[in-house]
Amino acid sequence: MAKAELTQLDVEAIYPANLIEGDPSFTQVTQEVAGITEWPKPPRAWYIAFAIALTLLGILGACLTYLVVTGVGVWGNNQPVAWGWPIVNFVFWVGIGHAGTLISAVLFLFRQDWRTSINRFAEAMTIFAVACAGLFPAVHVGRIWFAYWLFPIPNQMSMWPNFRSPLLWDVFAVSTYATVSLLFWYMGMIPDLATIRDRANTKIRRMAYGVFSLGWSGSNRHWHRYERAYLLLAALATPLVLSVHSVVSFDFAVAQTPGWHTTIFPPYFVAGAVFSGFAMVVTLMVPARQFFGLKHIVTMRHLENMNKVILTTGMIVGYAYMTEFFMAWYSGNQYEAFAFVNRAFGPYAWAYWTMVSCNVLFPQLFWFRKLRRNLWVMYPIVLLVNVGMWFERFVITVTSLSRDFVPSSWQYFKPTAIDMLTFLGSFGLFATLFLLFVRFLPMIAVAEVKTVLPTAHAHGHKKEEGE
Amino acid sequence: MENHTIDPATYTLGEHGARLKRNATSVGVLALAISAYLGFAEGDAWRHFFHDYLLGYTFVLSIALGSVFFVLIQHITGSFWSTTVRRVAETVMAQFPLVMLMGLPLLYPLLSHVGQDEFGGLLWPWLHPHGAHASLIEGKHAFLNVSFFLIRQVFYFGVWILMARYFNKKSVEQDNSGDDVRPTFAMRKVAAPSMILFAITLTAASFDLLMSLDPAWFSTIFGVYYFSGCVIAIFAFLAITMDWLQDRNLMVGVFNQEHYHDLGKFLFAFVFFWGYIAFSQFMLLWYADIPEETGWYLLRQSDPWTNVSWALLILTFVIPFLGLLSRHVKRSRKTLKFWAWYMLVAHLFDLYYLILPQFTKAANGVDIMVDGKMQNIPIAEPGTSLPLGAMEVLIPVGLFCLFVAGVASTAGKRPLLAKNDPLLPKCLGFHNI
Repeated sequence: MAKAELTQLDVEAIYPANLIEGDPSFTQVTQEVAGITEWPKPPRAWYIAFAIALTLLGILGACLTYLVVTGVGVWGNNQPVAWGWPIVNFVFWVGIGHAGTLISAVLFLFRQDWRTSINRFAEAMTIFAVACAGLFPAVHVGRIWFAYWLFPIPNQMSMWPNFRSPLLWDVFAVSTYATVSLLFWYMGMIPDLATIRDRANTKIRRMAYGVFSLGWSGSNRHWHRYERAYLLLAALATPLVLSVHSVVSFDFAVAQTPGWHTTIFPPYFVAGAVFSGFAMVVTLMVPARQFFGLKHIVTMRHLENMNKVILTTGMIVGYAYMTEFFMAWYSGNQYEAFAFVNRAFGPYAWAYWTMVSCNVLFPQLFWFRKLRRNLWVMYPIVLLVNVGMWFERFVITVTSLSRDFVPSSWQYFKPTAIDMLTFLGSFGLFATLFLLFVRFLPMIAVAEVKTVLPTAHAHGHKKEEGE
Repeated sequence: MENHTIDPATYTLGEHGARLKRNATSVGVLALAISAYLGFAEGDAWRHFFHDYLLGYTFVLSIALGSVFFVLIQHITGSFWSTTVRRVAETVMAQFPLVMLMGLPLLYPLLSHVGQDEFGGLLWPWLHPHGAHASLIEGKHAFLNVSFFLIRQVFYFGVWILMARYFNKKSVEQDNSGDDVRPTFAMRKVAAPSMILFAITLTAASFDLLMSLDPAWFSTIFGVYYFSGCVIAIFAFLAITMDWLQDRNLMVGVFNQEHYHDLGKFLFAFVFFWGYIAFSQFMLLWYADIPEETGWYLLRQSDPWTNVSWALLILTFVIPFLGLLSRHVKRSRKTLKFWAWYMLVAHLFDLYYLILPQFTKAANGVDIMVDGKMQNIPIAEPGTSLPLGAMEVLIPVGLFCLFVAGVASTAGKRPLLAKNDPLLPKCLGFHNI
């Protein structure tokens, strides 16, 4: 190997070139990002996408109305599969909501400059995904008008939720996460909102962006406070990245159900969440950079780095699958062993092998630099990862429940059309929010991207030579 | 950036290394000799001695494994903050042949038949299954048997030694290869696949050496638990080493406050991570309350181990968490050195908590009245006192000293600094915000 000649990419791996291609000036970056919100009309693709999103959102509304009016019986949930698609969808969406905070908090602490081009986008995605996630437990309670009972609110009936239930921990974990993510996202956006305010040429725009930019003037003191707040929020958000999905994993792992009760669940769920979150960021980023002309800000290198994270976290998930399988045998517990054999060779074997191939096998292609830098290869793979991670939650939830300790109650779980349409509809909610975001808010953190431009550094411009 | 020319005197260990090697070897040999005497005087056919030996062995092994993780992750992520400390980690990594030698005495409890009727073996009770769980343990024979166990150990060390040799060879090669960055690039390429092998071998080794001390018990997170300890150990070890070198006027100017701060941050992060993993394991087993899983904790939460469990929580998590929280603590050499030593000892204490309760466990359980029913509970022999004596200290200290002697010996033969690493200039110039 040492004999091989180094390519330009090899050298860049050691002496990174500029993150942003084409050496734009500060003004150009502002113009290119803030300008998108000022376009008189978005591209035609946006209208098409928005029409589809609204249709799906309508389907979601119709399904939920039908559900509330009729009852949870419209879903395929039964005994013993009392947790069917709703919990699968909940975990799926919470998982997707992990990339944002990881990128903006953990990668910030790790000094990964490349995150500046994608953090705003990923944080927005996080918030919308968490909104979709929150929907499912709320409607799963059946009588949705009592959903507020999930919170420990003092009331005359002295009714309290069960503090020993991980479902209650979920309420806290997810709402804390949603709050901090929203704060982080919004606070990071203030300087950019102020930029758009300053560029506004209509009164409505000036007012709208003006209110939300909180009187930002870009003074030294503002920036100082901003940077401090950012660092503190990053440090506080980092444990949240671990806690949310750990608590979600407790929903399963505290139970005695074989296939659920295994100690590796918390870190394994966190890795899986980051895995699916990054896959969703790439899924959305590839078209967005194309249609809004941001290919020089979100470059192939950014996509490549995200694909590397996908590969890494996919391997961690694979490690967990392997450990679980080994331990199912090693434990000497026949129920545990059955749960795993049943997963791989029982009636849901098709779901299990879909999960394994999407999550562990296909991402292996990302070992090759050529492939992880090729849009035609990475796009199918990230779509498959999205599919695979939904199936992971399906496999965990349904295989263990459908064949529990009482063989007489075993049966094959079938979702209803409402199950499927509700899940499809949740994509409508997600996409609608997202399309509004890319239309009206700065989807790239302009102020942060400027800090990684060569012109922002005193030592100048060109790659250091002679190192 | 200017072309840095660093005075070779700052990265040549010289006489300091020879002295350290001499002193550490003498202390180590002396400590082990005394322990051997104490172990013999115990009159329990070396059973206590070997439990402590496993403690010392898994301790030095964890530092070595931590160094593998450290070196690999720096290459995978292309880190530059760590360039000036990476050679020290590589030197630690080069000690795997020594660690393997240190493992040889464990062949005795593995192969000997002493104590087989009473305890099922001197160290690992699966060697000669007996008692209530005999049939369960026999069911694991395909994995838990002497020959496969030995084959696995040989495989792990094969992998670790090969990795250590490769990364050491290439790194030293880069020292003298001028502008040619191919050795660095080669290391980067090999690092990611190596990580897979590392994860598998570390997990399996932790199952073999530690988890199988209670062959009826199992926990899927156990590999990650041991891993978190390994990472704590290496970050502590690196901080201590850099401070020791700088006290001797070495590595001055190439490793500053910013670098200590980063070491401290990682030490803090992994204290937190260890707490997270330990909590995950404990909480999930406690909550589900399945007897075959809770037995392991029951032993540790009954006398004489109750206080040890509390101490573990407070001493290895709560106190260092608060202690390392402040930025100033991590940026000051003095305070960081304190917390690094503290965490190294805390990590040893964690291993003590994993290993020694098994030594005191009543061979056939203890019959006691629970809820009006007589039950057989897997706890310590009633009246057992805490095994915390000279041997618990001397054996880990002895093995650690020999390990340090090995590090000093390797370090004396080459620069302490990856002096020609392409990322060196960046490493010298960065600042924490």
